[in-house]
Amino acid sequence: MKINKNIVWTIAMKDIKGITSNKQVLIGLIILPLIFAVIFPTVFILLLNFVPLTSTEVETMTNTILSALPNGDSKDTINQLPSFNHQMIYVVVNYLLGSMFLLIPVINSMMIALNSFVGEKERGTLESLLFAPITVKELFIGKVLSAFVPTMVLTVGSFVIFGVITTAITYPIFNGFIFPNTNWLLLVFWLSPILTLFTILIEVLVSARSKSFQEAQQIGGLVILPIVGLFVGQATGMLIISPIILLLVGMFLLMINVLLIFLISKYNNRNTLFESQV
Amino acid sequence: MVPIIQVRGIQKQFDARTVLHDVSFTVNQGDIVGLLGPNGSGKTTIIRLLNGVIEPTAGQMRINHWDPHTEGHKIRKISGILTDGAGLYHEMTGVDNLRFFGKLYGVNDENRIQQLLTDFQLADHQQKKVGTYSTGMKRRLGIIKAILHNPTILFLDEPTNGLDPEGIHMVLENIYTLNKQYGTTIFLCSHILHQIESVCTQYLFLDRGTIIESGTKSELEKKYIKEISVKIETNAVVKELNPLYKVAKQDGSFVTFTLQTKDELPGLLEDILRKQYWIHHVEIQNRDLESLYFQIRGERNEDK
Repeated sequence: MKINKNIVWTIAMKDIKGITSNKQVLIGLIILPLIFAVIFPTVFILLLNFVPLTSTEVETMTNTILSALPNGDSKDTINQLPSFNHQMIYVVVNYLLGSMFLLIPVINSMMIALNSFVGEKERGTLESLLFAPITVKELFIGKVLSAFVPTMVLTVGSFVIFGVITTAITYPIFNGFIFPNTNWLLLVFWLSPILTLFTILIEVLVSARSKSFQEAQQIGGLVILPIVGLFVGQATGMLIISPIILLLVGMFLLMINVLLIFLISKYNNRNTLFESQV
Repeated sequence: MVPIIQVRGIQKQFDARTVLHDVSFTVNQGDIVGLLGPNGSGKTTIIRLLNGVIEPTAGQMRINHWDPHTEGHKIRKISGILTDGAGLYHEMTGVDNLRFFGKLYGVNDENRIQQLLTDFQLADHQQKKVGTYSTGMKRRLGIIKAILHNPTILFLDEPTNGLDPEGIHMVLENIYTLNKQYGTTIFLCSHILHQIESVCTQYLFLDRGTIIESGTKSELEKKYIKEISVKIETNAVVKELNPLYKVAKQDGSFVTFTLQTKDELPGLLEDILRKQYWIHHVEIQNRDLESLYFQIRGERNEDK
């Protein structure tokens, strides 16, 4: 059956309006970008620049990342920086904060998408939707969009704010731009949308099968683990982000997304959706 | 008479629990059918099955010649549903709820939304969030949601639940008007029998997951009412009346007679009047739906 775009957008817009009109939800969604796009970079960079660091951990971490970097432009750029402090700031901005930044799309889309079906169930409105002349496919796409659109707006918005703050602080230190580099552009415009979709698909699938928000949260929360892994990968030098790695991770997730869409369309019909709510 | 809903041998199990077993009935186009049964007898499950929201374990159904399992989408387009909880978004205003569901049903006619809000006396409350509505207001809004797209079949699950007498009157009047004006077939579930008696043309009695009886009220009366109980307000001295008319009870000027058939009633009244007594009120007592309901359920339980 042909997908009715009007219906898909009606469902998506209803949910988006629900998010933006609920102050508590909105504050919850804004806190994360505030931490990762404003507070973290400001505090990190300023600390590294103005407080004489005695912490050997940051030093060791920077060295680990530097030694793990493949020979090439990035390594040369870092090695040419005037001091070890400069190098640390460069590494924090372009490697550590990057992997942390991914938590914005992942956690935000997770919170919205987890609530997608469970929220309808808990409010007793899912039945109204199942009785309506809409296909389960339209309902799913609507739900996916209602999490995807706000998440991407928040992610790109956070990236811009992060960029302005980071540049404002680092420009005088470096006498030039150290941000954004290819890694960052790929993180925000290639990996973030794919990762957001991946998170949403997983969460929508979990949400459609869960009876309560709490239950959905317990299972759905696991999706955060790969991001933690990526962060640990940076810190230990085991998996340093580079354009090639980001492209490959994106491709891999894209394939998983296709698989998830196939799974969702196969296992979620009206009857299954309905029976999971009683 | 064109059948619009045909159900044959439907069974429904949820895990090991059998909710319906062997349900069969037919509803003709333009009828107002009351599906009656105690709580938990499977009334809501039947509505869900007929709309293809859930699948039957066994049996066949046709709604407007469509199979709910494979052609549910077509059925849902011509159906209007009021579920028990009304299924409205409490954080949205009344009018926003209607606009949202209107779009899902392909209705973008703001005039129609406003007209219905006026008809159901909700126009002044349309900008308030549904969460602040009283139970009756939610139910009325739920009914508007159900009829917004002028459905061919209207399924109403306990439509008068939580309504005050004025609300009940408003809802029943609207159901009746819809049926008369547009020929809408109405499938109504309820356990509050006296309220729906005035609108239904046909009844289905559901008990323990199966239809135990069906028919129009007069058909059911003929079948189940063996004796007529008539309450008459009169100053007649009962001893002077024909002994054929048995007196069951006398309470001042109210005398209750037991007759074999309705046909004996004119003779009884004639007898009273001929003897120069007055009659102020006559009422057949055991012909209401509730009496029929208990009689039918009672007989079925005796059979078991």
